[in-house]
Amino acid sequence: MGVLLKNVSVPLAAFTLGVEVEIRGRVTVIFGPSGAGKTTLLDLVAGLRPAQSAFIQMDDQVLTDTARGVFVPPRNRGIGYVPQDLALFPHLSVRQNLLYGQKSGNGANPSLTLDRIVEVLEIQALVQRRVTDLSGGEKQRVAIARALLSSPRLLLLDEPLASLDVPLRARIIPYLARVRDEFRVPMLYVTHDRFEALALADEMVVLVGGKVAQSGPVNEVFNRPASPAVAGVLAVETVLNGHIEKIENGLAMVSVGSATLAAVDQNLPSGARDVYACIRAENVVVLKGGAVSNSARNHLAGTIRSLGNDGPLMRVELDCGFPLTALLTRQSCEEMKLAVDDRVTAQVKAQHVHLIGR
Amino acid sequence: MSVEEWQIIGFTAWVAALSTIVILPFGLAAAWLLARHDFPGKTLFETIITLPLVMPPVATGLLLLTFLGNNGVGGFIHKFLGFRIIFTWRAVLVALAVMSFPLLVRSVRVAFEGVNPRLEQIARTLGAGNLRVFFTISVPLASRGIISGMLLAYARALGEFGATVMVAGNIPGKTTTISLAIFESVQDFQDTEAYRLLGVSVVLAFIAVWAGEWIIRRKKS
Repeated sequence: MGVLLKNVSVPLAAFTLGVEVEIRGRVTVIFGPSGAGKTTLLDLVAGLRPAQSAFIQMDDQVLTDTARGVFVPPRNRGIGYVPQDLALFPHLSVRQNLLYGQKSGNGANPSLTLDRIVEVLEIQALVQRRVTDLSGGEKQRVAIARALLSSPRLLLLDEPLASLDVPLRARIIPYLARVRDEFRVPMLYVTHDRFEALALADEMVVLVGGKVAQSGPVNEVFNRPASPAVAGVLAVETVLNGHIEKIENGLAMVSVGSATLAAVDQNLPSGARDVYACIRAENVVVLKGGAVSNSARNHLAGTIRSLGNDGPLMRVELDCGFPLTALLTRQSCEEMKLAVDDRVTAQVKAQHVHLIGR
Repeated sequence: MSVEEWQIIGFTAWVAALSTIVILPFGLAAAWLLARHDFPGKTLFETIITLPLVMPPVATGLLLLTFLGNNGVGGFIHKFLGFRIIFTWRAVLVALAVMSFPLLVRSVRVAFEGVNPRLEQIARTLGAGNLRVFFTISVPLASRGIISGMLLAYARALGEFGATVMVAGNIPGKTTTISLAIFESVQDFQDTEAYRLLGVSVVLAFIAVWAGEWIIRRKKS
């Protein structure tokens, strides 16, 4: 499966959505802050919104080509869509919702039968219920099942878990993973939750202000954001202004505030000296009671400024001559008896300091 | 009550119901256009539909009389289809239809606007064409507003006077409706007959409104 978007231009209130991207992943996450144009992009692919100009191709079929006046109507695109509000038909039962778009015997994906879908998503007990009697998590699964029953060639999911609380999200993600693995329907998945992205996707497109800021394999995008804007969107906690003092044996020494960081030289533009240094909070190790020798290149003396809960983890804000955020397990914090104003050492491997040219 | 009075009541109830049924498809279409589409001349279209609501009914009746008379479309119809419209029950039907149409459209339009367009869009992605979306999503979800609109239109038709008297006259046994009969009775100082018919129109209006509310309440639950 491949979706190609070229020359896309849609004027929106704050900016013009302008996208050029080829999407090839089994599950591709469209990642971006609210108002970045993510839903608009899905609507364009589904054919639900007109574009000033656009060329959209899925596999070998041109779906939209404003230059040649080609427009395949949504009903003929073979694209399933689970919108953010789910859009379950409130006047129909769960069963009637599921069967609304059912296609029989088109053979494109023989595994997409009512029985199998209902089984995989565990909604057997809900089929006779009214839509209005379902809980949030149940509605999610019914909406996904309904879209799958139309035997789509591509499934669009618009922040399907956004309306659920965190524990419920964690329970729904495995269902989505099962859909991905069992039915092998390619998905375009809009989210701004990085845990969902990491759990489900193999490719990622980062949308900022209506433009594709970066695309590629999920791990690569997360570990190597192409710009401070992407780093910000991906919630890389620490983004610092730095200056490369010297590069030796592939190791760049970067002065940041009053401290110096060692970073692996990551093919920066030649001669680039002013950089952003990005450090993800989960890559910071905190030690108390003096540093022990280990392989990490960066040992930074610092003071704890604050401690706070971040889901199952603790977010520790440090002052190491520059602000640095660390994510630690609660057990670690308790064992070390960490408290505000404690003197600690933060360790970061040189390859976890990601440099972006300024 | 006299045979004539029963005839008037039956005729009025029947022709008002028929006019509501006749305008329903056009009302749904017009309301749908106004609720879901933008097109050149939309405001003009909207204004023309609303005109009978704000113009004096007698003026609307005069327009209809001119339009449906022998020198207008009516003459053409008489020549080729062999029947007259003005001063027949058909003229009553046309007058009631024209006068109640704006009420139906306004009510149904609001109901269509209240249907989440996302539901219609998602139905399309599930393979439904425009007609299927309209009849399986839009109409059922707007049904309460549609019923209210039909009720309003029916009630308006029951009480129509000005346009009807202009285009259909007041011909006993042929075009006399309850409203015309009440007016005529009062003119002839036959107050008893007038009050009897007044009671009947109150009962008819009550039944129509009550039945509508009952249906809407049932749909809600």
